[in-house]
Formats: sequence, structure tokens, C-alpha cells
Amino acid sequence: MAKRVVIVGGGPAGMQTALELKARGIEPIIVERDVELGGKVRDWHKLFPSFTPASDVLDPIIRGVKSAKIRCFLGQEVRAIAPDGVTLRSEERIHADAVVVATGFTLFDAHRKQEYGYGLYSNVITSVDLERMMNNGRVTLADGSEPRRIAILHCVGSRDEKVCQRHCSKVCCITGVKQAIELKQMFPTADVFNFYMDIRMFGAGYEELYREAQQRYNVHFVRGRISEAAQTINDRIQIKAEDTLTGRPLRMTVDMLVLLVGMNGNRDNESLAASASLNIAPNGFFEPKDSFRGAVCSQREGIFFAGAATAPKSLADTLAEASMTASTVAEYLNHKYNTR
Amino acid sequence: MTFFAPFTIPFIIGTIFLFAAVATKFVLWLVRLPRVDKRLIRHNLFTWHTLAAVWEVVRESLLHVRIFKVNPVLGFMHASLAFGWFLLIVVGWIETVAYLGAQWVPLQGHVFFKYFMPINGITHHEPLFEQLMDALLLVVLTGVALAWMKRLRSRFMGMRRTTKHILFDRVALSALWFIFPARLIAESLTAALYGGEGFLTGSLGHALAETVPHDLLVMFYEPSWWVYSSLLGIFFVAMPFSRYMHILAEIPLIFLRHWKLHPTAERKSYDRFEVEACSRCGICIDPCQLQSELGINDVQSVYFLRDRRYNMLNLKVANNCLMCGRCEAKCPVGINLNTLRLNSRAKRRNIPYEGRYKYLRGLDRSSGEGRVGYFAGCMTSLTPATQHSMEQIFKAVGEDVWFADRDGGVCCGRPLMLTGETDAARKMVAYNTDLFRRHNITTLVTSCPICLRVFREHYRLDGIEVLHHSEYIDRLITEGRLSVAADARRYTYHDPCELGRGCGIYDAPRRVIAAVGEVVEPKHSRRDALCCGSSLANTVIDDSQQLRLGERMTAELEATGCDTIVTSCPLCMKAINRAARCSVEDISEVVAKNILRS
Repeated sequence: MAKRVVIVGGGPAGMQTALELKARGIEPIIVERDVELGGKVRDWHKLFPSFTPASDVLDPIIRGVKSAKIRCFLGQEVRAIAPDGVTLRSEERIHADAVVVATGFTLFDAHRKQEYGYGLYSNVITSVDLERMMNNGRVTLADGSEPRRIAILHCVGSRDEKVCQRHCSKVCCITGVKQAIELKQMFPTADVFNFYMDIRMFGAGYEELYREAQQRYNVHFVRGRISEAAQTINDRIQIKAEDTLTGRPLRMTVDMLVLLVGMNGNRDNESLAASASLNIAPNGFFEPKDSFRGAVCSQREGIFFAGAATAPKSLADTLAEASMTASTVAEYLNHKYNTR
Repeated sequence: MTFFAPFTIPFIIGTIFLFAAVATKFVLWLVRLPRVDKRLIRHNLFTWHTLAAVWEVVRESLLHVRIFKVNPVLGFMHASLAFGWFLLIVVGWIETVAYLGAQWVPLQGHVFFKYFMPINGITHHEPLFEQLMDALLLVVLTGVALAWMKRLRSRFMGMRRTTKHILFDRVALSALWFIFPARLIAESLTAALYGGEGFLTGSLGHALAETVPHDLLVMFYEPSWWVYSSLLGIFFVAMPFSRYMHILAEIPLIFLRHWKLHPTAERKSYDRFEVEACSRCGICIDPCQLQSELGINDVQSVYFLRDRRYNMLNLKVANNCLMCGRCEAKCPVGINLNTLRLNSRAKRRNIPYEGRYKYLRGLDRSSGEGRVGYFAGCMTSLTPATQHSMEQIFKAVGEDVWFADRDGGVCCGRPLMLTGETDAARKMVAYNTDLFRRHNITTLVTSCPICLRVFREHYRLDGIEVLHHSEYIDRLITEGRLSVAADARRYTYHDPCELGRGCGIYDAPRRVIAAVGEVVEPKHSRRDALCCGSSLANTVIDDSQQLRLGERMTAELEATGCDTIVTSCPLCMKAINRAARCSVEDISEVVAKNILRS
């Protein structure tokens, strides 16, 4: 009989792991909280740094899961995990020979940085809202008009002690560059400003894109966080910041403010971890057994990780890691049942 | 009649030293007072204020009524020691008169009267006085026993922690502990040899006479009086340099306070009275959240005052304080702990670079001359929902508002004051004052309790009424200008330090919330409310420590089972928001959501 693996989470990490396990003759079961597979990438329009449509990557994976007839529990939440299976909120137990935690991340709730007025001012949106607008084919201000001046703010809910998120979310810098270029493509005459603390262009092709944004698209980069935003009488947004390269305070009125929201550990990570005595790192994500040779292993034998459950990751990193998780799980099961 | 014996020498030296030292201190401090304060003294000296001061001296220096209110056992300990000893002196003096009639007796004659009685051939007894003196001695001894117990286990006295002392204190403390047991032994030995009828010393004397050989009694008689006198002498010499200076310093302090003197943002010699009036009782340690939550135990007011008194204050101690005022609210001597802490931070030379303030010119781009000026405050700019709600409220009542800091005002100056930049702060104060006057407002509403306190205490805004927005909204509701719908929610109100203990505003916000929903009180509230930890006043603790304070106090608020936590300070709001699981709203938001439109 085929060995069975329960995968908690039906995003890219969970699905890719499932596909590769299936290819190895193991029976994967996906449990997904949402009623649909795909995770947060579903909302994404195009992927950095190549502007590949997100659906070009996601759709084949979802189709693969469906055609491989992988069992999926949709709209079901996992309450507790153990090496021999998981317990759902409905108290139903699913037995397995190993468990993969691919629960991903939570987006930072921009309401918590009230000084930027998200939810309060009509033209303050998050990076996710912008992707949704682009998916819907129209980016406009609340009144339906075109923005002529846009500010993009980096590190909202990342590297910010004041909201207890000290870590870097890794992908927002390049997302900010990507979205700035997209906005310039849509509105060539608009001014687009990126407000940043540091620009971290670590991936292949990132730095080149950053240069292109400046040279070809004339996107402005200002080193300095925005301290506060206020709505003007005609629904524009007045922002205050300090340009730390010139050392001068700066006041500017824009039509739209885009907040690049960071990636946080899930709120229920703690209870899940407690149910299986796994470790939570100080940044709120699951802590892998070893960051070099055991990056997809947990402290417990039989429980594995895939994707952004352990740290903020790009989609490319997540998919690569899912392959690693699948091979590690397969090897574990092989070892466990052949030596018995 | 002779009233001299060699053993009295330590006592006499100690007493002369004590009087000289204390007199020098008081005279120096008084002479060095600023001219304004001296004028106040001259002005108030011959008024009823002086009589009120005398009454307070009796209540506080002798009876310690305030300590009784904070902690009855501790109050009894202090009162039995202070009032008991005072009565021993007074009754002892009357006793001498009762035996000898009205004649001059030197000081040591009164103090060691029991010793001098047989020498001067007095053999008859005045039983009433003997019983009275014994009873008083018993009262004082009870106080001493409690003091021992407090040292041994502070929890006996209802205190989690008691003060750690310096050398002078230890010397004085040890002397004080043994003064009265030594007196008991000396007087009992005297009674054993020469007879006595007191229920304490007399009975003990009889017991000694029956059990101890006569030779031994004679041998220990003289030394026992030497011990008693020496302990008194040691105590008196150590007193002006130890915590026991508070016994004497509190008396002039009470008078000066009644004559309307108070500490200010700049240091002056008046502060010395306050600093030395601290008895280091340690009542301020327990309320300090830095101690209870973070385990920081060398910065509390008692240690701060001690360090300042002995010139060993470092800025790290002065700066490591939330200035929440929880200790000040409990201080039995009523010392202005926050002001003293503040003026310890004042830098001697802090004249800022003039060019830095060029931007103040032409800053006012605002227009209009509203009757009401609204000064949101810098911190409120970071919680725009509050500002937004205030705008809705102003609109609902049709108030003619001039937005004071949106297009013209600058910082109220308090953050600068807190870091000791008093001169820079003065520039802000002058600019804002001029601005308010130019726009002819009659009411100034602010959403920030920090600004509120500075406007009330450091600005000269005669003719302009300064209100916190909770007071303003309360007034709108009670005057019937604003009506709100009631909802079924349960609200817990967090008292911000600057608004509650700082400005004494507790009821207005509660009335406002009660107009909307149910108010449930947390464990610590009003004068006893916890600090959120995000105070601007502390520049030493780091963010994670602030967070821990915030989490603990938020947990207490959530323990009420409320639906929403309400506060009325943008800083508290941000602190609670970081830790809370339920919703957190400013009082203006609660109201703005429930405005009834006519």
C-alpha cells in the first residue's frame, strides 16, 4: 500500500510538494483552509523580475494536482499536527506516515500602521490591492480618475520594531520596483516615487531591473521612510518624510500611496507548533531543524516544512524548496519502512 | 542638684553636633532660595497658611496619617516610633517638672532622669508618670519590633520590596534599633537597684533583682547607661547625613509648601528640602512597573533621590523613568518626584543653535479665527482616526474650528523638556503661545494629554480655556449640543498617565463612554492605573521592554472581558494596539461612530 503524507496548506509550496510526492508513488493529501487551491499568488498579476503572468506559473500546478487526482480537503482547517497525521477543527483525524507543514505566511495588516491611513483615506492601498486592480485590468483612484503622482512605501510591517516585526520580508523591494515599472507603463506621464530604507536586490536579474526602473522609466527613489500621511481636502494624500541622503525633511502631496506590506508568521503558528512541540523562531515563523542541511526538517521526525512557513520566500525559492521537501520526505519514508 | 555624669558625654556631643549641622543646612538652603520664593515666604508668613502648616506637621511628621492610608501596618510602625518618641520627650519633661518643680534642668537631666533620681536623693515615686513613660516605651518598642520584622521579611508589612541602604543609613538604623532596647535595659537595671513601679521597667527590675546576683547588677549598671547614651550620640551624629534627616527636613518643607513654594523645571535650593525629606521608606518601589515587570531595581524614586542627595546621580538613573507618576501618587511625604526627576535632567547649558529655528518664520500658513482651536498633537498625527473623528464631531455640532497644528503649530515642547532641553522647549512654547493669541481663540482643545499638561502648566494662556478632547466632548454631551446613540458594547477605559495622575481627569472620559455603552473597570484604574510603557519620558529602556510593559497592562485591560479598549492618548493607543487582541479605539472614535444626526 502506498505511504500517505498529509500536506497542510494548498498554496504553491503544498501543491508542488504533493505533485512531486505523487510522482514518487506516495499518496499526498492536501488540507487547505481556503475553499480554493492556489494561496496568495492567485491574487498576483505578474511576477518579478521577468513580468511572467502569475497564472502562467500557478495554473499548470493546479491543473497537475487535479489531473493527478490528489485528494484535497478544501475549506478545512488543521487544529493540531503530529508525525502520524493531523487533526482538523472538525475533530476529524487524518492518519499519515509523515506531515508537511506548508502553511505559508500572513500579510501584514496595514491598518496597524494607522499613521499611513490605510482604510481611512480612500487612495491609500497596499501592494496586494494594486495587484488585484491590475488583475481586474484597471488601476484608478477612488473617484475613477488616473493617478498622476504615486508614492510607493517600502517596509510596511517589515523591519519595524514598532509593530514587532523586525525581520526583512525579502520580496517587497523587488516588488516595489516591479510595481513602479508597471505603473509607469500604465501612466507614462505620472511621477512614481519609491520611499525606502535600503534597496535589497539580491536575486538574479533584480539589480538590473532596479537600474532599468531608474534609467528607462525614470522612477524616483528617495531614501527615507514616510513618517505620516494625511488626507487633503480633495482626497489627495500629503506625506511627510525625511530624505536621509540630503538630510532634509520633505513634504509632498501625491494622488495614491501604495504600501508594500510585509510577510509575517501566521498567528496560529504558535498553537500548531505547540501541538507537535515544534519551535517558533523569534520572527514568528517556524524554525527549521538546521538552516543548512536540515532546512526542510522540523525538530520532530516525520514533520517537514515547505515554502514560506519557515521564512519569507519568493515564489521561485518556494517551488525549489518544495522539490527538496518531497525528496526528503520520500527518503525518510523509504528509510523508515525498509529498515523495519 | 547635679545633672552630670561622664556617660552623658556621647549624648551631649551628638546633640550639639546635630543641632549645628541641621541649622547650617536649613539656613544655607533658605538663603539660597530664588528671590521669587523668598517673596512668597514673606507674603504668606503671617497668614492662616502658617496655621494650616502647623496642623499638617502634627498630622504628618508625628502621626503619619498618609502612610496609614497607604499601608496601615507601616503607618503604625512610623507613628509608634515618631509619635511615641515625641511623647516620651514631652512626658519625660513634664515628669521632671513633677518631681522637681519648675526649675532649669539641663537636657541630659531630662533624658537620663531615671539615672539622676537616686543621685539627687529622690526616692519617692510618681506612679502615674512611671506607668505612662513605660507605656510609651512599650509603644516605641513595638514600632522597633515591626521595623526589625520589615527588614527581615518585608512581606510582613505588606511590601514586596524594601529599600537597600547606604552606610550612613545602616549606622543610624542600627543605632536606632538598639536605642530603645538599651533604654529598657538601663531603666530596668536602675529599677532593680533603686526600685521603680512602672509595669514594664519596674517589673523587669524586680525580676532581675530576684534572679541576678547583686554584684552583677552593680557591675552592669553604669555600662548600660553608657550604651544608651552612646547609641543616642551615634544616632544624632549620623542623622543629618542619613535617611533620618527626613524627620527634621519634613517640618520646614511642610511650611514652605503651605507658603506656596514648589519645585520647578530648573533646580533650586528648595529641592534640597524635598530630597532630604525622603525617608526612604520604599513605598515607591512596589508601584514601579520597571521593577515589577522588567526587574530594574536601582532607578526607583527612593534610589534616585538618594543618589541625587549624595551627588552620585548618573543620567542613566535620572533618565530611566516613565514619569507615569504611580510612585508620586503613593509617596507619603508628597514629594514632587516627577518634577525633581525632570529638573535633574535639565542640562546646565542647552542653548540651541539659532539657525535651527529659522523654519519657524513663515510657518503659519493657516487661516481663520475660529472660536475653538484644535491642537491635535504630533502623536495624534500618527493616529489619524482620532483626528478624523474629531473633525466629524466638530462638524456635527457646527463648531467654528481653527486647526492649530495642521498648518501652523509646532511641537508643544514637552519631549524637549523631558530630555533636559529646556531652552529649546521655551522656543516652542513662545512660538505656539504667540500663534494661539494671533488667532484669537477662546478655547483650545487638544487630543494629546502630554500637550494638555504642558499647555496647562508651562504656557501662559490666560483667557484661553485649555481642554482635553474628552472634556470637550463631555461638555458637548452634557450641554445637549451633541447626542449619541447607545450601543450594547462593553468598554474598558485605560487612564493615560498624563491625563489621569497628570491632570486629574478621570470622570469626563468615563461619562462620555457611559453615554455610549457599558464601562467596565480593570484591576488598576484611575489614580492607580498602569502605565502603557510607551512614555516619551524614558530614554533608557528599549523597545522590547516597552512592549513587555504594554503587553502586561493590555492583558489586564482585556481580562475585564470587554469588547473594546478605549483610551484617550495617542501614545497609549499605539502601545495597546501592539498588544491587544480586541479592538482599540480612541474615545473620539467611540463617539464619532455613534453620533445621532438630527
